[in-house]
Amino acid sequence: MTDQSQPIEGLGRPRLSQDRVAGLTLIAVSAFALWASSDLETGTLRFIGPGLMPRLLASLVGVTGLILLVLSFLRLGEAMPRIALRGPVCVLAGILAFALTVQTVGFAIAAPLLAMLAGLADRDMRWIELLGFAAFMTVGCILVFKVGLNLPIPILTIPGIIQY
Amino acid sequence: MDLMSNLALGFSTAMSLQNLGLAFIGCLVGTLIGILPGVGPIATITMLLPITFGIDPVGALIMLAGIYYGAQYGGSTSAILVNIPGEAGSVVTALDGHAMAKKGRAGAALGISAIGSFIAGCIATVVIAALAVPLTDLALRFGPTDYFALMVMGLVFAVVLAHGSVLKAVAMILLGILLSTIGSDLETGQARMTFGSLHLADGIDFAVLAMGIFGFAEVLRNLEGGEQRDVIRGTMGPLLPTREEMRRSIAPILRGTGLGSVLGMLPGNGAVLAPFASYTLEKKLAKRPQDFGKGAIEAVAGPESANNAGAQTSFIPLLTLGIPPNAVMAIMVGAMMIQGIVPGPQVMTESPALFWGMIASMWIGNLMLLVINLPLVGMWVRLLKVPYRLLFPAILIFSCIGIYSIDNNPMDVVFTGGFAIAGYLLIKMGFEPAPLLLGFVLGHLIEENLRRAMLLSRGELSTFAENPLSLILLMISVGLLLLSALPTLRAKREEVFVED
Repeated sequence: MTDQSQPIEGLGRPRLSQDRVAGLTLIAVSAFALWASSDLETGTLRFIGPGLMPRLLASLVGVTGLILLVLSFLRLGEAMPRIALRGPVCVLAGILAFALTVQTVGFAIAAPLLAMLAGLADRDMRWIELLGFAAFMTVGCILVFKVGLNLPIPILTIPGIIQY
Repeated sequence: MDLMSNLALGFSTAMSLQNLGLAFIGCLVGTLIGILPGVGPIATITMLLPITFGIDPVGALIMLAGIYYGAQYGGSTSAILVNIPGEAGSVVTALDGHAMAKKGRAGAALGISAIGSFIAGCIATVVIAALAVPLTDLALRFGPTDYFALMVMGLVFAVVLAHGSVLKAVAMILLGILLSTIGSDLETGQARMTFGSLHLADGIDFAVLAMGIFGFAEVLRNLEGGEQRDVIRGTMGPLLPTREEMRRSIAPILRGTGLGSVLGMLPGNGAVLAPFASYTLEKKLAKRPQDFGKGAIEAVAGPESANNAGAQTSFIPLLTLGIPPNAVMAIMVGAMMIQGIVPGPQVMTESPALFWGMIASMWIGNLMLLVINLPLVGMWVRLLKVPYRLLFPAILIFSCIGIYSIDNNPMDVVFTGGFAIAGYLLIKMGFEPAPLLLGFVLGHLIEENLRRAMLLSRGELSTFAENPLSLILLMISVGLLLLSALPTLRAKREEVFVED
């Protein structure tokens, strides 16, 4: 699958094999899991201990990674597609901001914060429009989830003044 | 109890005013979210999971089934009107459905897909009801050895039916099972790979993983694409197909239903194959195959019916064996667990009202979709015009409330964000997230049954070969895996998924 909108491969940036990256990632995950489960007992086949499955699976993941890595040298597979930064960074920032504020300050602040930060991910974003839309969504969600469904989501907490 | 009295019990449960209302709301909001371009059924169900929390288990499951059908139907609607299929199943619908829409026959395409889905749904409901009792009886006789073999076969099917590289699908399944081992050990209670985190002691929450690697990672991927939406303008045309169109569609609908019902029951994602298979079959049987791809109504009617029938019969392995055949059913497991129901053969015997009520509500849900969707098409079209720059913050807000409400724990939201990044990178490396989810859901059951089987056999691995049922299941698995590695079959497999 080639994407026409992207710049021609091999110009400006070295061609990176997708399978090679995938293989190396699996090997890294496998090594990490083997290390993380190293304190667990394997047990015997009759009395399987807590460590057997994690280590067995981690090793198998490592083996598939190794095969992918070897294959990447034997055949010319697909190139690694470009990884965007703006989208993931903005969306992640929004999600983290939501997680930090939802319990301390409340949903009425957390939701617009999430919408505004994540909204930055799109180059076409318009501040006023997004702000209005975020306010609309927030009120809508409060009506549906808090008032309608009675879910225990803190809406707004200002110490000593308001707690809803 | 025979089939009729079972169904009567089911309908009397599902027909209560409250449950009818829940089925209606489920179908409506399921369609509403499912119709959004780029939001598939998995993300839809995860997003809407919290609205079922306060309801009793029967009502919650009926509502979830409604959400599922709504999401399916919403996916077809956006495939026809915008040419953006929300999930693999509606890829085929987009081909001729969107071509019909361009010719001013959008109404008829939507109409026939609703009618076809309804007919398929009616037949599939009967199939489920008929097969439920014998399959449950069979499942109750399964020992741990057989269960282990059955799950291995399910995962092998999932590998064989996955898109792209077999090796990468295997890696994803293994990774999924590996993730499921995080948390307290089943027998000793010892913390495994939790790094002392109390949050991880209960293991990774299913909805958190699913929302991260499916819902959010999809958002990240869509953000790159730029806006390329081709919402049909101008006339929708009448919603009811003409008599001539109906006449041409009826045979494809029935054939599609048959194909879908059978394929949907397969472990692994059989339901996804159904629309492809139906499209290929109809093209072979068509008098004018050259019309396919240019707006042939048979090419909408058949695959849509197959899709719906498959979506419904994929409940069979879940409800009778307790094994989810695909990622959507895996979410259903998560939802049932939240309600305190462990899916499996015991559900039917222990709570027959719940079991048969859910089956009856499938039929009711299909009827409701027909009733809700046709008059509301105009509203759906307007919804499709909301630009993505506003759509994705809305999706994020909805999902974050959902994730937070599972446990009222903001850490879950953080984890979802982490999985989103992981899912995005996995997609970039050419990995499919669906097998990972399936492996994750089956992970506990696999480990539990393996350990039990080994204990019973005193550590003899040969127990899997001595037990006839598990031997057959494992031999099928090995055979399939070998077959899928054969070059000719691999070429055939690619062909099925790249049928354009």
